[in-house]
Amino acid sequence: MANAHSSDIAHHDDHSHDQPAKGIKRWLFATNHKDIGTMYLVFSLIMFFIGGAMAMVIRAELFQPGLQLVDPVFFNQMTTTHALVMIFGAVMPAFVGLANWMIPMQIGAPDMALPRMNNFSFWILPFAFTLLLSTLLVPGGAVAGGWTLYPPLSLQSGDSFPMLIFAIHMMGISSIMGAINVIVTIMNMRAPGMNLLKMPLFAWSWLITAYLLIAVMPVLAGAVTMLLTDHFFKTSFFNAAGGGDPVMFEHIFWFFGHPEVYIMILPAFGIISEVLPTFSRKPLFGATSMIYAIASIAFLSFIVWGHHMFADGMPLAAQLFYMMATMLIAVPTGVKVFNWTATMWRGSLSFEPPMLFAIAFLFLFSIGGFSGLMLAIVPADFQYNQTYFVVAHFHYVLVPGAIFGIMAGVYYWLPKWTGHMYNMTLAKAHFWLSAIFVNVLFFPQHFLGLAGMPRRIPDYAVQFTDWNMVSSIGGFAFGLSQILFVIVIVQCARGGQKATSQVWEGTHPTGLEWTLPSPAPYHSFTTAPEIP
Amino acid sequence: MSAAENPIKDAAMRRRVRNGALGLGCLALAFYFGFIVLLVHHSHH
Repeated sequence: MANAHSSDIAHHDDHSHDQPAKGIKRWLFATNHKDIGTMYLVFSLIMFFIGGAMAMVIRAELFQPGLQLVDPVFFNQMTTTHALVMIFGAVMPAFVGLANWMIPMQIGAPDMALPRMNNFSFWILPFAFTLLLSTLLVPGGAVAGGWTLYPPLSLQSGDSFPMLIFAIHMMGISSIMGAINVIVTIMNMRAPGMNLLKMPLFAWSWLITAYLLIAVMPVLAGAVTMLLTDHFFKTSFFNAAGGGDPVMFEHIFWFFGHPEVYIMILPAFGIISEVLPTFSRKPLFGATSMIYAIASIAFLSFIVWGHHMFADGMPLAAQLFYMMATMLIAVPTGVKVFNWTATMWRGSLSFEPPMLFAIAFLFLFSIGGFSGLMLAIVPADFQYNQTYFVVAHFHYVLVPGAIFGIMAGVYYWLPKWTGHMYNMTLAKAHFWLSAIFVNVLFFPQHFLGLAGMPRRIPDYAVQFTDWNMVSSIGGFAFGLSQILFVIVIVQCARGGQKATSQVWEGTHPTGLEWTLPSPAPYHSFTTAPEIP
Repeated sequence: MSAAENPIKDAAMRRRVRNGALGLGCLALAFYFGFIVLLVHHSHH
């Protein structure tokens, strides 16, 4: 590998004239996986702050009981749009950005297999989200029925409804094209000798995620198309008055929605599986079982959607099936948590920012997993359903889960992208502030939910005041802490201590990205490296 | 490799990539229309 690496560098020196295009053309007509990855990541960061600003509106309104800042309809528009922006605009594009940057470099490919389609999948997104955000400006405002778009409530939306449906279709097309690109790249363009079991865990997690995307994004598109025809063309798919069935929408939505949760967490599993071995200076414990665990979780994600609908009413046998199947997911997830812990066991640990985020992920994602197990228990779910306990649960999965995973990945690979080490002190400050305030923000929401505070309301009974104030303070502090993240990234992109090709002392070269110099050359692996 | 150049030199691999992408695209379309047809069928029974 070392020989292939040095000959590769020489090859790049021969092609030093081959530089990126200048100015706006570089980005508009980008076909280079690194440029497209950068665009995805920057887009995701912008959406993270827009969605975060909406969360601040929500937390400001909930700071104390009574209506003070916004009217209830606008509050509901905020909760709906916050969710859509964070899921489809922040988390998913961030993982696609990381996939674009890292998968070709990890598997020894010169680029993604379909670079022009890659450009198209990215450039759809700014249009989709301009359309989505502009729904806030139309008469009647944005869709306010929740991101789940349940009919008949969502069908009562005004002009914003078709705009949102079109935006969702565009996001879906973008995701599907991105997924196709990942699959064909991994299946066809791995370096000679890199069989599937030698492939890094991040690439593996993305391969499985891409299949999930192809299976479920069309289902969401089909469901919202039927909503559209119910709204405008007098069909009655989900309209009870016309013989339709609104509960059927819930089934179809959650057939998409539950695997979607795993689409947002499996790539984070991949990142954590890369970071922990590096900073434990040990190979990943049970690497093959990690792959089987991801595949098992992905399979199980297709057969548990009914746990979102226990309170709708369903036959006892169905309740039991969905409860047991949901609990079964704890087995492969437990395998993963065990393997990550065993990787660290007796390792020579060091606590650089990626490792700190990975360890926080391990603890805090587990809390989200445990509250998920509580919600899987049918009689308990009747109590927790539609309360802040559910809000606490999924935010633990998505913020210190998915988003900490993304941050671990960014801090892990940033020196490889920019060629500079970043400011460790600032990055650690970012970690500690984020880790503390994410708990101040979301942990009290468990108490509020167990005490009976309903979700999706702008006002509440006075006994919920104290924990809501704590949660809001945590929210504002968490939001402000993220400014440090931007400062660290911008500083690192502009300069700093030179990074070596290995970057981290404990890097285990499972992925070929560490054989490339830092920053990685604009065109990497124009000659395929040989894996022994 | 210029920006406009295809990263895949080998014609057989290019064919595999194209066929793979088309197959996966067809699968996605099948899921999309499949669920709509399923519900049209459901609404008639």
